[in-house]
Amino acid sequence: MLRGLALLILCALAFNVDAQDKRAYTNYMLHCQGCHLPQGEGALGAVPRLKNFVGYFLHSREGREFIAQVPGVTMSSLDNEELSELLNWMVRAYSEEQLPRQFMPYTSDEIEQLRKTPNPDPLGQRNSILDMVAEGLPELAEEIATDGYAY
Amino acid sequence: MKWLDKITESRARKVAQSTSRRGFLGKLATVVVGTTAAVPLLPVARAEQAGGQQPAEEGDPNSCDYWRFCAIDGFLCGCCGGSINTCPPGTEMSPITWIGTCENPVDGRNYIISYNDCCGKTSCGNCLCQRNQGDRPIYRPQLANDLNWCLGTQSVAYNCSTAVVIGTALDE
Repeated sequence: MLRGLALLILCALAFNVDAQDKRAYTNYMLHCQGCHLPQGEGALGAVPRLKNFVGYFLHSREGREFIAQVPGVTMSSLDNEELSELLNWMVRAYSEEQLPRQFMPYTSDEIEQLRKTPNPDPLGQRNSILDMVAEGLPELAEEIATDGYAY
Repeated sequence: MKWLDKITESRARKVAQSTSRRGFLGKLATVVVGTTAAVPLLPVARAEQAGGQQPAEEGDPNSCDYWRFCAIDGFLCGCCGGSINTCPPGTEMSPITWIGTCENPVDGRNYIISYNDCCGKTSCGNCLCQRNQGDRPIYRPQLANDLNWCLGTQSVAYNCSTAVVIGTALDE
């Protein structure tokens, strides 16, 4: 009986996660995909690439804050809960391999605080944050050396 | 180490006596089937699934009234040598695009529409449509259709607009 109940709860949780993912992906299509493209591939020189890249930012506090302070996030018409859900989905869907093992999902309170202070120079600071991360992450250093900063 | 062997043996015998292998397999199967049905394995694979869902449609796709054009501002590619989903020969589809939702009268559902512009030739001039549902001023550029959306293409010359269904919106 108890085991059956536990199984039921597990399945219900799984369905809930699925519903959250669907909302996150739908919001990605409506609010991000127009520029970041369907698989997060971006456009070289025009739109930063998310695919196999955005997870690198989460290796430092500055990078984690940066992601929530870029214009697309701070000026979004989504609320803080939808935004945190979208970002958490996005980094896993498009850049799971680059995420640090101890990645902690964004909370809506965190997003609320961070988006109050938009980054005044996202393009300028982007590369210096990545350089900082690359000091402790050889695979990023190598990627920057061969392919640049994914922008 | 004999005591370890003994404990292991007695535990194993207890488990073997009080459970059945078939029961365990059955439960394992329930968990595996249940979770994979609820959580398909890769989010990206799911994304493609959603994009592939095409709705039943009615009406003339070369008319401004057609349901997919609820937010359009431009020339219909279907009147310019292309179609509602494809660009006329000699033009290139812009990957960067205006995205919004339109309600399909056939099933009453909202679909996500991508208005990819076709670029590389001068304005087509046929079937100019302006419906502008959900259009925002250019200080919200993601949702402004007055901008030239020939971005990320070789040429910025605007020719016409497509209206591609890329997914279903969530029911609010």
